[in-house]
Amino acid sequence: MTRSSQQTFETLVRPHFERLYRLAWRLAGQKAEAEDLFQELLIKAYGKLDDLVRIDEPGSWLARMMYNLFIDERRRFARHRMRTVDEGALSDDGIAGFPASDDPVHDQQRLERIKMLDKALAQLSDEHRVIVLLHDTEGYKLTEIQKLMGIPVGTVKSRLHRARARLREILQADGTFSSL
Amino acid sequence: MRNDDIDKQDQAIQALLKDYPMPEADAGFFDQALVRATHEGTRRQRNRWLMTGFGTAVAAGLALWMISIVFLATPELPTAEPAIPGITMTLAEPQTVKLVFASAQALDSATLTVSLPDGIELSGFPGQREVTWQTSLSEGKNLLPLKLIATSPVGGEVFATLVHNDRGRTFRLRIDVS
Repeated sequence: MTRSSQQTFETLVRPHFERLYRLAWRLAGQKAEAEDLFQELLIKAYGKLDDLVRIDEPGSWLARMMYNLFIDERRRFARHRMRTVDEGALSDDGIAGFPASDDPVHDQQRLERIKMLDKALAQLSDEHRVIVLLHDTEGYKLTEIQKLMGIPVGTVKSRLHRARARLREILQADGTFSSL
Repeated sequence: MRNDDIDKQDQAIQALLKDYPMPEADAGFFDQALVRATHEGTRRQRNRWLMTGFGTAVAAGLALWMISIVFLATPELPTAEPAIPGITMTLAEPQTVKLVFASAQALDSATLTVSLPDGIELSGFPGQREVTWQTSLSEGKNLLPLKLIATSPVGGEVFATLVHNDRGRTFRLRIDVS
């Protein structure tokens, strides 16, 4: 690979970094895993530069590749989870890192609600959690999720419906609705 | 429950989901990821070419060599760090438990099985009492973050069994739920 290949690669992928990083986060749910997923995507995509230059919609192509990597990773589960680390450098999930406003009471209430949502999402299966986050949080259209996951749009709809129903059950059971 | 109550709750859930935060990438992460990708991508590409040529030329010899390595090199299985004998979790609150394995040398194709007691679930695997996967360990400390959630107040013990070359070792982690 030459220097011009690296420049071509960067030109093609950099415009999609923010969206891909968000996708990695929503898929993985944890910072370390999300960063691993993002990194692995770039490595794989660089190896397929010849394909990448011919793709009309590189953003969708990269997102689909990331989703497939995520699924493969889930199947192998821990290949990347176990690695040599400096424990002191570890951070936890992103909840504590959300930006504060000028209203600490509102911030505290918001944090509590987000924690409850986080707990509820953790009880969903991956397929339900990912669909509800992509659609309701990230604003993906059903057809975008269909392309990403490679499943019929009817299946996306039914999974979304079931995921919301399950979230409602969980949040009802833990009393979250009384605080809304 | 009435339909309009369900609608209100669905609206409340969607408002919550819209507000679900996500931290921004660390400064410089994208640039570093790009540099690593081009270096690692080039290295993997080169290795593929080397392996293809080498494999075609000396496939039989290579097979013998690999078998010798497997039989001759029987690395010690890692020992568990005694730092995490037990933890206390809060009911229904996800908590990431970090298991640390110290290995004297790199181990490929080890099998790790995590067995969970009733009432403790692995995030993303609801209802599964046992999850098994293949993993590799590096020389030194290897970290396994497990995002667990307690669905009942009973608690119990999580067992992590590492098997390599028919030799196994089980690590136990006591979980109390408050």
